[in-house]
Amino acid sequence: MSNPTITKTTPTLQPAVPRPRRRAPLVSSRSLTKVLVAALLIVVLYPLGWILAASFKTQDEFLNQPLWTLPAAIGPDNYLSALTQGNLATNAVNSLLVTIPSLALILLLGAAAGFALEVMVWRGRNPILLLIVGGIMVPAQIILLPLYTVYFKTGLTNSLWPLIITYVGHGLPLCVFLMATYFRSIPRELFEAATLDGGGIYRLFWSVGLPLVRNGIFTVALLMFFSIWNDLLIALTFNTKKELATVQVGLLNFSDEYGSLQYGPLFAAISLTIFGTLAIYMFINQRVMKGLTAGSVKG
Amino acid sequence: MIKNVKRRRNLALTVTACLSVSVLALSGCAQASGSQPTAGGDTATKLSILVTTENTQVPAELKKLADKQCSTQSQSLPLSIEQAPSASIQEKIQLLAGQDALPVMFAAGNSYIDKGGDLQKNGQILDVEGTFKDLGILDQITPSALSTLKKLYTDTVPSLPFQYNIEGIWYNKKIFDANNIAVPTTWSELTAASEKLKKAGVTPITASGQTGWTISRWIGAYLFRSLGQNAMLDVKEGRAKLTDAKYVEAAKAIQDLAKAGYFPEGVSGIDYDTANNQFLSGQAAMMYMGSWLLAKVNDPAQNKIGDAAQFMPFPEVSGGKGKIDEYPANAGSPTSVNPKMYGPKVGDWIKCIATNYGADSLQNSGTFSGFKVNGTVDAVPPITADIQKRIDASTSSVLWFEALFNAKATQDAKDYAAAFLTGSTSAQDYMSLLQKDLDTAH
Amino acid sequence: MNSVLGNKKAIVVLLGPALLVFVGVMVIPVVWSFAYSLYTGNVIRGFTFVGFDNFVRLFNDDEAHEAFFFTLKYSVVVTAAQIVLGYALALLYVFVLKKSSTFVRTMVFFPVVLPTVAVSLLFSRFFQFAPQEGPINSLLKFLGADTIDFMATGPGSFLVLVLMDLWRSQGFYAVLLYAGLIDIPDEILDSARVDGAKGGKLLRHIILPMSLPVLLSSVVFSFNSSLKVFDSVLALTRGGPGNDTTPLNLFMYKTSFLYSDYGYGSTIAILITVLCLVVTLFIFRSSRRDLTKD
Repeated sequence: MSNPTITKTTPTLQPAVPRPRRRAPLVSSRSLTKVLVAALLIVVLYPLGWILAASFKTQDEFLNQPLWTLPAAIGPDNYLSALTQGNLATNAVNSLLVTIPSLALILLLGAAAGFALEVMVWRGRNPILLLIVGGIMVPAQIILLPLYTVYFKTGLTNSLWPLIITYVGHGLPLCVFLMATYFRSIPRELFEAATLDGGGIYRLFWSVGLPLVRNGIFTVALLMFFSIWNDLLIALTFNTKKELATVQVGLLNFSDEYGSLQYGPLFAAISLTIFGTLAIYMFINQRVMKGLTAGSVKG
Repeated sequence: MIKNVKRRRNLALTVTACLSVSVLALSGCAQASGSQPTAGGDTATKLSILVTTENTQVPAELKKLADKQCSTQSQSLPLSIEQAPSASIQEKIQLLAGQDALPVMFAAGNSYIDKGGDLQKNGQILDVEGTFKDLGILDQITPSALSTLKKLYTDTVPSLPFQYNIEGIWYNKKIFDANNIAVPTTWSELTAASEKLKKAGVTPITASGQTGWTISRWIGAYLFRSLGQNAMLDVKEGRAKLTDAKYVEAAKAIQDLAKAGYFPEGVSGIDYDTANNQFLSGQAAMMYMGSWLLAKVNDPAQNKIGDAAQFMPFPEVSGGKGKIDEYPANAGSPTSVNPKMYGPKVGDWIKCIATNYGADSLQNSGTFSGFKVNGTVDAVPPITADIQKRIDASTSSVLWFEALFNAKATQDAKDYAAAFLTGSTSAQDYMSLLQKDLDTAH
Repeated sequence: MNSVLGNKKAIVVLLGPALLVFVGVMVIPVVWSFAYSLYTGNVIRGFTFVGFDNFVRLFNDDEAHEAFFFTLKYSVVVTAAQIVLGYALALLYVFVLKKSSTFVRTMVFFPVVLPTVAVSLLFSRFFQFAPQEGPINSLLKFLGADTIDFMATGPGSFLVLVLMDLWRSQGFYAVLLYAGLIDIPDEILDSARVDGAKGGKLLRHIILPMSLPVLLSSVVFSFNSSLKVFDSVLALTRGGPGNDTTPLNLFMYKTSFLYSDYGYGSTIAILITVLCLVVTLFIFRSSRRDLTKD
């Protein structure tokens, strides 16, 4: 946003001029806006506050007190049992160990493939792009059984690799599709000019192509991060060991055989997850928002 | 810009590192998986066990045994427990079985391990009765547990009886006394008592619509009283259909309870804990539940009504063939043994479990198992003793509503239970839906 | 130039790894599983060839039909709501809040990161009816309306499910669409204003057409994820009451792994894939601009 010359994704050949950020309001009433925004924030924030309050409640308070009451006392008990019984620390480490490499691989492979399919000129690139894009339509459940067989035969089942490999393969179609779209929106003249300067194809990809779609990469990264981080299905299928469970799987640890739930520790675990994620999120937020707002999903 | 270049380098490094690790991992693991188990010998190197995450009792108890009574066995064959959420464990069992890679003990669903079930056909289920006979420890399984298992699995014993529970109606004695209600022994007494309670402003019966079996089991219990021992077996073997008038009548009887307003308002949204809590805090007078509730009843933090929490058998139905002391009984969630992993060391472990588990679980968690209680157990709470007495005194037991159903009918019985109770699915529709599931079994 | 952009070796190096992973993780398993649709059975029992029996069965299966129509209903409602709400929020960010929108944007976006299990517990508590009424029912009571047992009825559960998915994803779609709006050149807006376009007219004649491409991608994306809805249903309603909220994806999962009928499960999966394909093509066709071409 701050530098529209680079981040502009509209295919236009006009020299990019930083444009003024003035917009005439569609709605004039100030107070209406305030009410609207306040209502919006309440709808979003109240439930979060409720989860936090719930994480301090005892089982007794959960079952016998009205839902909106605040906990009688704020103590660390629920958090302690969430950490010990729920293995939350291990789960968080596993989630990171899975998410970061998967994300890095998806972005690298996806950007390279998008570049090869959109910027480079060769026969057969359209059918391949279509094939990959078709992967977006397939429900994830269908690949579980064959993959399990393969992972088992190769002896990978007791590691985090099945998760990483599956996330990468499953995330690629959308990533390639989006990356191709971003590359398409860059004027071809830019690449052609760069080849005239005598740069090799890899340099063209790495030093010209990637920087131009940098914001798009952040968009994809965000999308992928949350779909991997929040995945339950794949993580459940390929994991049996407690030591390998991710956060989402770990959250299922708080109920017993007959359906009994320990609300306090569960909400403590959820709170830790949420506010841990919030911390990471705030940390990378600047970048992400810039990426999202500037690198639009444009055709 | 410079920063970005640097970041990209780092990214590239990370990726390269990951890739090389993956190659290493691939080659490393390929070696590890080289030794495939072969039948007969002691192929297990661990006593690997796969049970549901929700099952907290059995793993805890086994760990205790491994530390104490079975420490020798645990040294030669260390215990290794893996758990999977019940929502996905059958998927996992299917995948593992497809690779012939089931652990030593595993919690496969009833339809897999029953006679003629997929795992049974495939030779992936150890005959527990035969093995116990060979080991000379068949007497360590209580006769009632053995007969329950055989009833459940068409005369085979494919599962270890880690638990043994009877089911009936828990009632609040204080509320009963205050309203001058004697323990009902017939269905009409039960409805009369409910009516009286309702008029007195007490919720007569609670159940959990979110945990459907707390409702569907009412139908089963009623059927065993009205049609006798074989009510559900007849359905399984095709001699009767759930759509027969007598079966639908049972479902209607339960629906009538709800229609009369004996269940709490909003029962479909009530979850398992809330239902238990309604009973244990005196907000509801009765609840159909198993003896496993003892763990909560004996915990003063959860049980606010103290000694008032009492257990009674499901009442008789007038003109019915069933008897009041035929309690619905179950042997807990199934736990089977993989014959391909069975050998002397596993046998040794099982022997140790069979002789120690019963007394230990009663002592430690106040729960019953299908293993004989050897030695003495310190003073148990009166209500636990009362239920133990009922188990010992009962000459025969029955199963429960879904016991002999296939996976789909079991699932639908649960899923549609709340809709059935509130009347949005009629008794007739509910029963014909289940019958259809049974007919289209694959 | 063409020699550089047509470098065969580079194509292999750049595309090869992605294609390899894609074929390995998606294409082969999908073909493998789809082949099972001609068989009945599962990995334990083994598979028996039955030809097109599974397809005939799917055609006659009432449960599958219900799941099919539920899936359609759910996706249409959720996609429409996601896009309308998201677009409204995006307009709010761009034209009303302008520079100060960052905080609101961030906060409204945040629920996307919450675990499904957590959100579903939250929503079932909020819409609770008994034994204590949740905040929503208290509000209804306060307003003088009757309290509602949401989870007891199909429509009630559907409503809660849709609201939950909206609450979770509105911020995400808002930001996605915001990206499209912010790219509209000011010169165009200014000249339109000079011509007298204001409010709704400006929106209909200038803003909407200009942001159509990003709007279309969002619709396609939203449809493709809502047609495959799984997690939120499983966590919130488990498909109930009865099967009133069971989408195809959950029906397929249950059939394959709970009822151990993998062949039939694969057949349902084909239906889902075809449905996604048809809907996507339909959206592209019915829009004048084709996104696959620029």
